[in-house]
Amino acid sequence: MCETCGCGDTNELKIHDRQHSHDHEHDHEHSHDHNHDHNHDHSHTHTHDSVLFTHTHDHGAKKVISLNVDILSDNNRLAQINRKSFEERNVLSLNLVSSPGSGKTTILEKTIKAIIANRKIFVIEGDQQTLLDADRIEKSGAPAIQINTGSGCHLDARMVETAFKKLDVEPNSILFIENVGNLVCPALFDLGEFKRVVVISVTEGEDKPLKYPYMFKSSHLCIINKSDLLPYVDFDVDKTMEYARSLNPNLEFILLSARTGEGMEMWYEWLGKQK
Amino acid sequence: MHEFSLAIEVINLAQREAEKNMAGSIQEITIEVGDLSGVEADAFESALELLVKDSILENADINIVRTPGKGKCNACNLEFEMKYRMATCPQCQCFPSEISGGEEFRVVSLVVE
Ligand SMILES: Nc1nc2c(ncn2[C@@H]2O[C@H](COP(=O)(O)OP(=O)(O)O)[C@@H](O)[C@H]2O)c(=O)[nH]1
Ligand SMILES: [Mg+2]
Ligand SMILES: [Zn+2]
Ligand SMILES: [Zn+2]
Ligand SMILES: [Zn+2]
Ligand SMILES: [Zn+2]
Repeated sequence: MCETCGCGDTNELKIHDRQHSHDHEHDHEHSHDHNHDHNHDHSHTHTHDSVLFTHTHDHGAKKVISLNVDILSDNNRLAQINRKSFEERNVLSLNLVSSPGSGKTTILEKTIKAIIANRKIFVIEGDQQTLLDADRIEKSGAPAIQINTGSGCHLDARMVETAFKKLDVEPNSILFIENVGNLVCPALFDLGEFKRVVVISVTEGEDKPLKYPYMFKSSHLCIINKSDLLPYVDFDVDKTMEYARSLNPNLEFILLSARTGEGMEMWYEWLGKQK
Repeated sequence: MHEFSLAIEVINLAQREAEKNMAGSIQEITIEVGDLSGVEADAFESALELLVKDSILENADINIVRTPGKGKCNACNLEFEMKYRMATCPQCQCFPSEISGGEEFRVVSLVVE
C-alpha cells in the first residue's frame, strides 16, 4: 500500500513528464515534535480551546492522546502551500472536476487552441491508468504532465505540488488541473486551486447536483457541456441550474458545446475575468 | 473507493502520531464522522477494517462516533437536526439553512502503549 498517494500498490502512482519517464514520489514525514506530557492522577475533564494542540495523558503504560485533528488537515496544509506558489507566480489555477466523459479534455483541447496565442497554458492531467489525455493536450499545443493515480480516485495536493514543479509552470500562465473523473472525493481534496470548475453534460441527469451536493457546493463555475445534444436528450437546463443554485447560490453557469464551439466564447470571457 | 482513500489518510495520521509519541502500539482510536461531512460512515468503517491489516491500527479498537447534522434556518431561525445537506426547514420548509454541526471528520483521540 502506498503511504503517500493511497494507491493500492507502491508502484501505482506515476507522474509522467513530457518524456514519459516513470517516477514515483514518496515523501515520508518524520516529525520531530516533542510533547508536553502531564500526568493527571485521575480526573481529566478539561476543555481545550484549540484543536491544534496535541494533548497527552499518561495512564500507567497507556496514554490517551487527544488530538481532534481534521483527517484532511495534511492535505489542506499542502493545498495552502500550493495556493501560495500559484499566487506568487500569478498563475491562474483551475481544478476541473466531472464524471468520466463529461468533456473536460475536449474543452481543454479547444481552449488551448483558441487562446494559447494570448496566454501560456499548462495542464496537469489526472487519470487512473492511461496517458491518453496528456497526449491529447500536448497535441493541442500546451505542456502537460500526466498523473496516474492507479486505484486512487482523486488527485491530492501533494501530487499537484510535485507535478507543478516538474511542469515548470511559467508566471502569468493558466494552469488547468483535470481531476480524475469522479464527483465524490475530489470535492474533499483541496488542491490549492484558485477556482473549481464542475463540468456536467446534457447526457447526464438533471439531478446530478442533488446526487453530488459537495461537489456543487464547493465549485465556483458549472459548465454544462454538449449543448449540441440538447435536441436529442431529455435534459432540463433550468432545472439543473435551479437544483445547483439551491445548494450554492453563488455558482455561475456556462452552457456550451465543446464540439461545435457554441458558448465557448463565454468560457473564454470568464477565464479572462479571473484576476 | 472514496472511503478507501480516507481510511488511508487515517492510518497515516495514526502512524505519524504514534511515532511522535514513541508509542509501540495503538489500542484504540476514536474517529468522529459528521452526518454532513461528505463521508459515508458505514462505508468508511468497512474500508478502514479492511485496510488496517499490517498497519499500526491492526489491533486497535476502532470507535466511530457519528455526529448528527445541525442546521439553522435562514428564514425562521429554527435550529433542527439535518439528516442531509439538502434538508428543508421542518417549520417553514425554507432552504437553505446554515449548517452548524455535523461537518466534522476527524480523529478525536488515540490510546497508545
Ligand atoms: N456531442 C458532444 N460530444 C462531446 C462534447 N464534448 C466532448 N464530447 C465527447 O464526449 C466524450 C468524452 O470527452 P472527454 O473530453 O474525453 O471527457 P472527459 O472524460 O471529461 O475528459 C468524447 O467522445 C468527446 O468527443 C460536446 O460538446 N458535444
Ligand atoms: Mg479526460
Ligand atoms: Zn504510490
Ligand atoms: Zn490535560
Ligand atoms: Zn478518491
Ligand atoms: Zn424555517
